[in-house]
Formats: sequence, C-alpha cells, structure tokens
Amino acid sequence: MKKNLLSTAAMFGIVAAVAWSGLVAADDFNFRGPDFGRPGFGQPGFGQPGFGQPGNGGNQGNPANTVSTKTPIKHLVVIFQENRSFDHYFGTYPNALNVDGEPVFEPAKNTPKVINNLLSSEALLTNNPNLNPLNGTGASNPFRLDRTQANTADQNHAYTPEESAYDGGKNDLFPLDTGKGTSGGSGGFGTTAQVMGFFDGNTVTAFWNYAQNFAMSDNAWTDDFGPSTPGALNMFAGTTNGAVVPAGFSANTIADGQGGLTLINDTDPAGDVCSSKTAQVQMTSKNIGDLLNAGNIPWGSFMGGFNLQTINNNGTTGCARSSTGQAVGITADYVQHHAWFQYYTSTANPTHARPTSTKAIGFTKVPGTQTVDPANHAYDLEDFTTAVGAGNFPSVSFIKLPAVQDGHPGYSDPLDEQTGIVTLINFLQQQPDWDSTAVIINYDDSDGWYDHAFATTTHGSFSTADTLNGTGNCGTPTLTPEPIGVKGGQVAGRCGPGTRVPFLVISPFAKKNYVSHVLISQASIPQFIEDNWLKSERIGEGSFDATTGSIMDMFDFSQAPNRKLILDATFGVVDSKTN
Amino acid sequence: MYYRTIVWFLGAGLMAGAVFAAEPQTSPGENPKPIHLIRRPVEPFSAMAKLGHDIFLDTSLSSSGKIACASCHSPDHAYGPPNEGPVMLGGPELKLPGVRAVPSLTYLERQLDFSIGPDDPLNENVNLAQQAEVGKTADRVQKTATQAAQSAANIVPQGGLFWDGRADTLQIQASGPLLDPREMDGGSIEIIAEKLRNAPYAKKFAALFGERVFKDPRLLVAEATFAVSRYQIEEPGFHPYTSKYDYWLEGRARMSEVELRGLRLFNDPEKANCAGCHSSQPSREGFPPRFTDTQYEALGAPRNSALADTRDPGYFDLGVCGPIRKDIADQTQFCGMFKTPSLRNTAVRRAFFHNGVFHTLQEVMDFYNFRDTHPEKVYPVGADGKVQKYNDIPVQYHANVDVSDPPFNRHPGETLAMTAQDEADIIAFLKTLNDGYKPE
Repeated sequence: MKKNLLSTAAMFGIVAAVAWSGLVAADDFNFRGPDFGRPGFGQPGFGQPGFGQPGNGGNQGNPANTVSTKTPIKHLVVIFQENRSFDHYFGTYPNALNVDGEPVFEPAKNTPKVINNLLSSEALLTNNPNLNPLNGTGASNPFRLDRTQANTADQNHAYTPEESAYDGGKNDLFPLDTGKGTSGGSGGFGTTAQVMGFFDGNTVTAFWNYAQNFAMSDNAWTDDFGPSTPGALNMFAGTTNGAVVPAGFSANTIADGQGGLTLINDTDPAGDVCSSKTAQVQMTSKNIGDLLNAGNIPWGSFMGGFNLQTINNNGTTGCARSSTGQAVGITADYVQHHAWFQYYTSTANPTHARPTSTKAIGFTKVPGTQTVDPANHAYDLEDFTTAVGAGNFPSVSFIKLPAVQDGHPGYSDPLDEQTGIVTLINFLQQQPDWDSTAVIINYDDSDGWYDHAFATTTHGSFSTADTLNGTGNCGTPTLTPEPIGVKGGQVAGRCGPGTRVPFLVISPFAKKNYVSHVLISQASIPQFIEDNWLKSERIGEGSFDATTGSIMDMFDFSQAPNRKLILDATFGVVDSKTN
Repeated sequence: MYYRTIVWFLGAGLMAGAVFAAEPQTSPGENPKPIHLIRRPVEPFSAMAKLGHDIFLDTSLSSSGKIACASCHSPDHAYGPPNEGPVMLGGPELKLPGVRAVPSLTYLERQLDFSIGPDDPLNENVNLAQQAEVGKTADRVQKTATQAAQSAANIVPQGGLFWDGRADTLQIQASGPLLDPREMDGGSIEIIAEKLRNAPYAKKFAALFGERVFKDPRLLVAEATFAVSRYQIEEPGFHPYTSKYDYWLEGRARMSEVELRGLRLFNDPEKANCAGCHSSQPSREGFPPRFTDTQYEALGAPRNSALADTRDPGYFDLGVCGPIRKDIADQTQFCGMFKTPSLRNTAVRRAFFHNGVFHTLQEVMDFYNFRDTHPEKVYPVGADGKVQKYNDIPVQYHANVDVSDPPFNRHPGETLAMTAQDEADIIAFLKTLNDGYKPE
C-alpha cells in the first residue's frame, strides 16, 4: 500500500536505514485443525461446494475461520471512503463517454436497466431543478467531469448546508448551499457550478467494473446529514448522540433537547495525541466494537498513518506522516476526525500504541496470555496486510486508506482513490480466505456533491441547525419524530436519511452485476455484522442499526462463487478474471 | 512542519559534501553524491490537453485579435515575457500597459493553494481570515539557507498563483488575462463563449463534454480555461527540469569553478543567502528543487516610474493586500508582499520583480547587496537630501518589509554581503538554472 519511492531511499540512505516497519516478523500460527463453527447455518447455501468447508483453499490456521457465522462470510472488510455522492460516481452508469485516450468502459449486456441515477429521467440532464435562479451564477445542469479533472475542489458538506441543498426533497439548491469549497492545488478544476459535476467510467473505471461484476446499491444513504465524523460514527455506532465535550475544548455539537449533546459536524476525538489542541469531543454510546469484544470476535480498525513510529520515505513521521498523490500534492496520511474508534473510551488507542505481535492483531488480549494488548484493536493499515498475509485475517476489519487515497476532494481524488482500493482488493482476492470474504465500499458523506434522489425523512430533527423543511425543521414533527438518544428520550441533530452515497459489495457471494434498491444506510454495516456474527444482537441506545435496512439483498449464498476480478490499479481496467 | 528543518539539515550536508568534500574519485565539478530526480512521466496528450494547446495559441479570443496566452507567456522565453518592457501591452489596440510584470508559467505544476500558516489542507473548519488573524500575533523568525524556520512561528502566506496569490488553480489564473481589459481584453464570458462555439477546435469541446456544453457559457469558458491549465500540466515544456543544475544533481553534468562558487554563495547564509527563499534542494521525495519556497515577502523594490500607474503619487501596488487582490485587504501586515518567484530560467528574463523595475540580474544582485548598507544606490534621493527608502510602499507599511533574512539584516556602514566577484559568480550559477542543457 505504501507508495515507496526507492530513489528517495537511495538519496537519503540514512533515513531509509532508520525506517522501522513497526512490527516484529510475522508469527507462525500453530492452531490445530480448523474447527469451523456452524458454517452457513440456516442459509440456503449450506453444503454448497466451496463454502464453509475446511481445507477448501481457506487458511486453516486462521482464527477467524473458526468463529461461528450465519452466512459463509468469515471475513468482512469495510473500506470507508470519503465524500462522494452516488450520482457523482454513478450518475450515467453504465454509459461512459469514452473520450479518446481514456480507459474505455463498455457495459455488459446484462447490466440492469433500472438504476436510479441521472439517466432515470431525461430532464435531469437537460432541465435540472438546479437551474433554479436562486443558485445565481451557479445555476446549472449536471455535467461530465473528465478524467483530467479528477482533482476537483471540495464542496461544502456541513449538516445545515446539506439540508438546505436538499430543500425539502426538491434537491434544487446545491450550487447555492453546498457548491463552495477549496481547490486542491494548481492543477485542480473548479467552477461555481462544479457541485453539479459527475464522473463516468472513464475516470471511476474500477468502481464501474466492480459494479459490473459484483453488487451495488442505488439506495444507500448516510444516516444523518453532515460531514465525515457523523458518518464515521454512524457506521461504527449507529448514532451521533451522547457527545461530551472535555473541559477547555470546543466541539461541533448541538443541544439534543434531553440535556445532552449530538455531534453534527467534524471534531477531533478526545485524547488522541494527534488531535487538535482546542477542539475535541468524546462519544459515550456503545458501538459495534463493544459487541464484537463481548462476543470474542477478532476485529480491528486499520488506518493509513496510524503507526506514529513509521518514518515515511519522504522523512515524515508521527502525526505528520504524509504521502504524495498522482493528481493532488502531498497530504498528511492520518486524519483524526475520521477515526471512528478513537471517540469511545472502550475502543480508543489514544497514544497509537503498537500491538505486541502480528498474532495479537484483532484480539483484546495477546493470544495465549492474559495480557491486554495495548493496541486495543486499533492499528495501522500496514498491519492489515501484514496480518492477513501471515494468516491472521480478522473477522471484521474496518479500513481507512491514507488520506491521499480516501477520495476526499481537495486533498485526494478518484484516481488516487482507485489506486488504493484496487491494490487492496487485488491483494484480498489473492488470499486463501477470499472464498469467505466480503468487501464493502461505502462513504462517510457525499461532500455536498449533487445527487437527484431524496429519501423521505424517517427520523426528524427540530433544532436551529435544521433547514430541510424550513428554518428549524428537518421533517415534520407529527410524522417524523426525532429518534431516541443514548439515554432515552427524543434527541435533535440526527436528521435523515441524509445524502445518497455509493455502496458496493465485492465478494464471491455478491450477486453479479446487480443493483439493489433496498434502502440501506451506514448503520446497515453494524447490522450485517450483528446478523452474521452476533445472533442479531443490536447496539441499543437509539442506534440506527435496529431500524435501517439490510444489505442481504446484495448477496446470494447459493450462487456459484464469482470469479476474481483483478484490475489495473492505475487505470481501473480489467487485468484478468480468474476462478 | 518540523520535518522541514530536518530536510534542510540533510540537504545542507549534501550540498556541503558536494562542494567541499575532496573525494579523490570525483572529477572536478561533479556532484560527488548524485541523486535521482523525479520528473513527471511524459505521456501522450489527453484530449483535454490537446484542446488546451489550441486555446493557448488562439489570438481570436483577444479584443485586438492579435494576442493569445502564448504572446506574453512565450514558449521561446520559458513561458515568460518575450521582451525587456517592465510590463506587456494589451487592450483593443495593444497600447494599454499591464499592471505587473508577466510571471513565467513554468514550474507551477506542484504549486499548492494560497494559505497562511502551517499547511493543513485537512482542516475544513478554518478560513483564510482566521489563519491571517493568527499571523498577526506571531513573531517573525529569520529565514536562512540552512535553516528554514518558516512555520507556525513565522506566518507569511504561501502558495497560490499570480504575484499576489489570488488564484489557486491554473484554470482560475487563465481567466485573469483573458478578461483583463489591459491584457487580452476578452470582453465577457458571453463574448468568449461565442468565439469558442465558432472556433476551429469547437468539435473538441463536443467530444469531451457533449453538445450541451455550448448552451452554458459559464461552463464552456470554465472548461476552456481548465483545458489550458491541463495543457500546462501535461506539456513537459512547462516543467522540464532540464537545467545544467538538475543534471549536475544527477551526476550527469560538471559545473565550472565559477558556477560552483556561485552555488556556494547562493546557499551561504552569511553571504547571499538566496536559498533562504529560493530553495535549491530537492524535496525529500526526490522532486527537483523549484528555487522558491512559494512564500510571500515585502522586499521594498524601488518604485518604477516607467509604469503609467505610478504617475499618481497616491498609487501603490501592495500585492497581497491589494489593490488587485481584494479578499484579505484588511490584513495589512501583508501589504507590500509579493510571491517569491522561481529562479529557474530567470537568466532569460529581462524584467524582474513585480513592477519590472530591474532589467538585468546585475541590477537585482545590487539591490540585494546595497539596499540596507548603501540605500542611495538603490533608491532616489529626495529634495530634502534624504534617501527615499522603500519608496513604493506607504510609510505605515514599512514595518512589513523584510529586515531579518540575510542579507537584508544589515545596516549602513556594515560590510557588504557580496563582493563584485561574488555577484558575478552567483549570476554564473543562475545561468545553470536555464532549461535545455544537453548533458554529457
């Protein structure tokens, strides 16, 4: 994953010499014969060849393979990306313009015809609601962003402006309310109406190829409106309520109406050594990590830049580790306000302590001992590939790519994102455990990018931060009451579903070339984990995991397993398809 | 930002080794520790860059019908001005002088956004005004060629395009001259859009954006200016890194004794200290040096009476705080500050500083050398017999002028930073920064 530049090492040999991989050599695993739990219990695929059978190519020493699961999935890998709306990446799917010299995309004949995107109605491209004169000089139809325009400006994606742009479901004020932002260096592209731009298969080529060969949703939403941190918390805990601001700090919270606080915008996690010295927040709800710990399920969060002891090849280390992208410039690897696990005392690793060994990755206690492992399930991205490569592939792995590859406009871009994602998924497909693996690609928020779809509000919010249905309103008090908070009672600041974002499932068991229309959200991720590993136990405390939709529609556990799809990490085109 | 210091430390070691180490196996003038420089791979032009090339050369977009981007950003002059005038002429009859000397369009492919204070592109909660407020109370730290202390403690702006950093992207920059009445004088977005619809290359727009793009003038012009910026990114001529110095770094060229002496003076904090701002070290990743830290300084270049605007005694071009740039005009600590330009290909220029007041490198070197020890050699003397130091900056902003970075930390009567021979040697070194050197 590291973008090593050997020439640099040659130049500054002294630096390369002191660079430290941060981990002892991968341990051997001496687990005795695999003891698969109840593979496929209650599943139609039970007994199918290639599923749940020990010794069928899977890694027999892998501790996660012995854990009982409801489906054949023994390993879930959640790649949580940044700031893209569904229409922004799939607006004209499966039709790409195929400009001369760009990676060509041709859709398969059996591509679903019914997809809720910008092709659903001709007027969306030619007489779009965002021609609304209130948008001023930004009034515009949606338009194609070229591959050379991968490096765009960042839009406004705060809680309130997003509600304003969706304008009660008319989705007609994006240029006015979210069409602003910073650019990303001299080669970037930006216009007043840029928020209306979309990429096609000539730029997000890998994503379109994954959609052609696996499953995606055209009805996946952020649980609430708002930016990165709320999205990350909803993916991990299903709630943004229960915020506590440490004394002496500020945070982007609002009063929840029950004497507590809800986090509605980005704030760094309390106590993280890399966090802001002025703004921090602590979350107090339970999260999916707590449930996994209670169930003794191996799991971990793996973030680019998390190991503060690593010295990157450009000499950076600690919280300042940075990498160089293809389209943007140099970007810090680790972003504190994206680190879902750091907000909760029970799952935090505020000092970024290292695991005692590769074997300990995924576990609360060092295996075979009563010693609590200092990493507390929080690791560097490099630990993920090390652990998986060593046969210790956790049951649940939450991945954050280094910021330059996380997709966030302004400091990352679709091409660097593609390189990171394809490299990781190519790697996973070459592991012996791929036949029991599922990868989810999902997003923390839409960045404010235009999307034409609106999900009828199901959980309202009636605070000064809300504007979706006029000042002070997101939803209708009688029809869409505020959801329950961490301490019971209805709380403000959790209005949604929010913005529509991409959601793909890549797995031997993902339905092939399938677009699911079941309404799901970020909290559908913990819900799936609970269903698969935890007998459908829920987080409680008002978490959306109990009320959101299921991603099971994107799987078919009885099908012949999909072929592996190895893509080119630079162009996203198909390198090979193999069984 | 701490790592910058480390980079400089190592870099200085590299350079010192290069210049001073008597390693017997090295031929005279060779870099004893050659390195590999990263250059952008040359790939076939994208459709976007091909379109941009056409637009870059299109004179029909100007009101005179006679000038294009390439007229002032001449490919034969390192994409800078082709003559010795302090500014170029534009407008409908090509008689209106521009406001500032034309900057080169080269070596901007890695330029970051305009910002104030330590880089933090990930911080979404801070705007420019907030950054600038922090800077008001920060202490100034000396910048030298061996210790780049510019960081949180020394908050001056950095990055951005134009002399005052008002554009972040080459796309936005391209629309400046296109619409400026004293330059290409394109008239309006609508007029330019109409010309683009009828341009010989119009079909290239359709292929890239579909026919619908012609119906939206604003988008059409934005795409056109982006295409120009993409051409600047993809055309290697805008960032070739083919100077003698680059090849010397790579061990593929030998520097003369004079050039090496110039390099040493250039880097020596006790002498010229040029590298304090015009960074001469490759980045830690191996990107070639850009010869600018992209920061902003007020150096107090003398007023250029050759510029029409200066006939008004109340007219002052104050760079970052205006009058062209308007968004941070109230941040008066930046008044008089202009961006440090790259020194690559500077030896082919004949107009130096934002107002084009100097026409030779010798004049520029004299300015650095004499400004503080012999200001009468740089500035006019008034009727009262007093030297009019910093005469292009109003008195209330004189405190913004850099008097801490050597050689600007000297006083009348003190020893000069450079001898005449030193200046000549540095100029010889600067010529090794011209692109197009043929390595051995």
